Amino acid sequence: MEPPIIYYPRLEYIETVKSKELDTGNKVSRKSVICGSQNIILGGKTIIQTDCVIRGDLRRTGGGHAVVVAIGRYCLLAKGSIIRPPYKTYKGIFSYYPMKIGDHVSIGEGSIVEAATIGSFVHIGKNCVIGRFAIIKDCCRIEDNTVIPPNTVVPSFSIYDGSPGVFVDELPECVQDIYETRTKDYYSKFQPKD
Amino acid sequence: MSSSSTQVLDARQLAYVHYHCSCPDVCKSNESSEKSIPDFDVNSPRVQFSTFPISKLYFCDDCHQIRCPRCVQEEIVCFYCPNCLFEVPTASVKSERNRCARNCFQCPICQNTLSVVASSEPPLANPPAALNMTPTGAPYFLSCGVCRWDSQEIGMTFEKATGLALQLQKTEDERPDVKEFDHLKEHFEKHLRLNIPSTSLPSSLSSIPGMSSFTSRYGGSSMAHTQQKSDDVAPYEAVGKVESESGLVDDLVQLKDVNQITTLAQRMNQHSDQPYKRIHLRTKRVKRCRSCRHILIKPEQKAQATRFKIKLVALNSIPKITITSLPKLILNQQTQIVLKFSNPLYEEIMVELKLNDEPLEYGKITIPSPHFNITPYNEVWEYDEQELVPSKSRPQSSASIAPRNDIIGIYERRGNYTSIIVEITPLSEVEEFKFPLLVTYTTKSNDVNDGNENPENPSDVPPTNKSEDSKVEADKTDTSTSTNLTTRSLSFWTIIGLGSVVKAPVPSRSSTHGNSGAVRPNSISGKS
Repeated sequence: MEPPIIYYPRLEYIETVKSKELDTGNKVSRKSVICGSQNIILGGKTIIQTDCVIRGDLRRTGGGHAVVVAIGRYCLLAKGSIIRPPYKTYKGIFSYYPMKIGDHVSIGEGSIVEAATIGSFVHIGKNCVIGRFAIIKDCCRIEDNTVIPPNTVVPSFSIYDGSPGVFVDELPECVQDIYETRTKDYYSKFQPKD
Repeated sequence: MSSSSTQVLDARQLAYVHYHCSCPDVCKSNESSEKSIPDFDVNSPRVQFSTFPISKLYFCDDCHQIRCPRCVQEEIVCFYCPNCLFEVPTASVKSERNRCARNCFQCPICQNTLSVVASSEPPLANPPAALNMTPTGAPYFLSCGVCRWDSQEIGMTFEKATGLALQLQKTEDERPDVKEFDHLKEHFEKHLRLNIPSTSLPSSLSSIPGMSSFTSRYGGSSMAHTQQKSDDVAPYEAVGKVESESGLVDDLVQLKDVNQITTLAQRMNQHSDQPYKRIHLRTKRVKRCRSCRHILIKPEQKAQATRFKIKLVALNSIPKITITSLPKLILNQQTQIVLKFSNPLYEEIMVELKLNDEPLEYGKITIPSPHFNITPYNEVWEYDEQELVPSKSRPQSSASIAPRNDIIGIYERRGNYTSIIVEITPLSEVEEFKFPLLVTYTTKSNDVNDGNENPENPSDVPPTNKSEDSKVEADKTDTSTSTNLTTRSLSFWTIIGLGSVVKAPVPSRSSTHGNSGAVRPNSISGKS
């Protein structure tokens, strides 16, 4: 089933335009909470929908400017998803650690992500919890309502489901193409309407 | 909007297009049946095992056939641990019993990955508690991040934080089930050694560890002229004793609370009293066509690489069918659905659609234009499209594309796809309205097969290669006007599932549904 065109009120979203050499076309909702935006990188053509929270302000103690959340191209943070960098106490020092999200990643509505790394071509369903320092490799699918425990590694081409999330199936080889077209399609169909 | 949109989404999950793989090598079909393709029974119990979404299918170029997961052969390329992602050499897989021999363990309670925790790490939060549980011995233990199980509970601690499996090797070797297996292996190994000479094993099987010895014992011995004694295996006597289970049964009879005993999953995961388990290895596999043994999928050797050296998937070879518009199906009312056929090939294809000869019991289906063509795939178009889908400049960019609505039944024609209308009148209220559709597509390509002089320039191939055409292993080859024009065609069944049929038309709601999905022939151009 092909997804329909989604219209949003033009005023609700800010669309980034040409800024230096960065690829742009990011669509960020005005009703999202973006903290520490100077520490957040959006790769371009990424959509951040209403009620999302990105905590770019939670950064490593000390030091100067640092990238806290790096998000690739053609990503989708659906309504109410929360991106929060992971933290731990190492050798008695509490600190936050940066998070990296690859290209063509979609994060479903109401999901909370505290992963260390999310690869490219990853689909995370609705209402998921991705635990601290989880590593999700390229080409993965996390089903709706899954809880990925902290420190879990999700290898490529796997489908994880349940609470705690466990490996349930393998993804087909062409999943990369499918997710790529899907995220591009979603972006092109996410259109303003006055 | 969110609640209504999720409902719509749920309804749409029921809509699907599945492709049927006839598995020519699994189910033997006679050649003669190819000429007149029999009707396809969508309600046959076999259907759910022989139809797949296009993403799961492969396409063998040599056989010019769809291949499904059932009709491919797999060979293991590499073993790796799904947790630490380290590659395990094939040679040591067997001795390590298919499990990670590094630091990866599974929780006995929740099957989640355990992590190594140092008990000497200053637990600043609650020092008194830490003092109480400080172990007398080693400083490291395993801990589960989900259910909070830790290995100190069973007195399992480690001296070092690395090579945990090695530290446990000794205890593992003493487990009764491992011992029993070793005995069993020892017992049969003598016979295996006698039957070794069967080197005629297919390469695909020999790569599986243990398979070579297995086949030499069971399969290989029949064909090879090995010793007749191979069957005379001395009876095996178990070393381990199975304790009487009567006490256990009594306990279970008296059981009041189910949570007191282990769950099935927990019991399946552990064979003996040893509660931890090393993590199972995963594999990367080459996939071959069963009939011609050509490789369809060849992943890169490295465990972490996601690319493929060879990837012949159906998605890149056969027309992809998508349901683009699906209004609610209402009893005894004609509804139009739109099927989008996209062409992944670089050459134009002709598509012919056919329904079952026998009409469906629960509905009437008509396809106004069962013959149409789809223009070839072109990267430039795709690039245009992602930029300009519903924007104003689009019609100009698609000036080269044939005008749409020129034929009745064609909904839209653009880029590398053609959308057609299918008219459906449900005649009875069914849970799942589905119908079979026979798709035949024909490509007209200039013949570039069999090592031509200039393969990179196919349009300039001189018509000197006389009998080249007959060599093409297509279902149907015919030489038309020019000698080097070949047509290749392939037919396959698909099942189009459209969800449930509703009885009474609900006027207010159906209109909102109609907005999202009804056929509006000029919807896109109307906006421009």
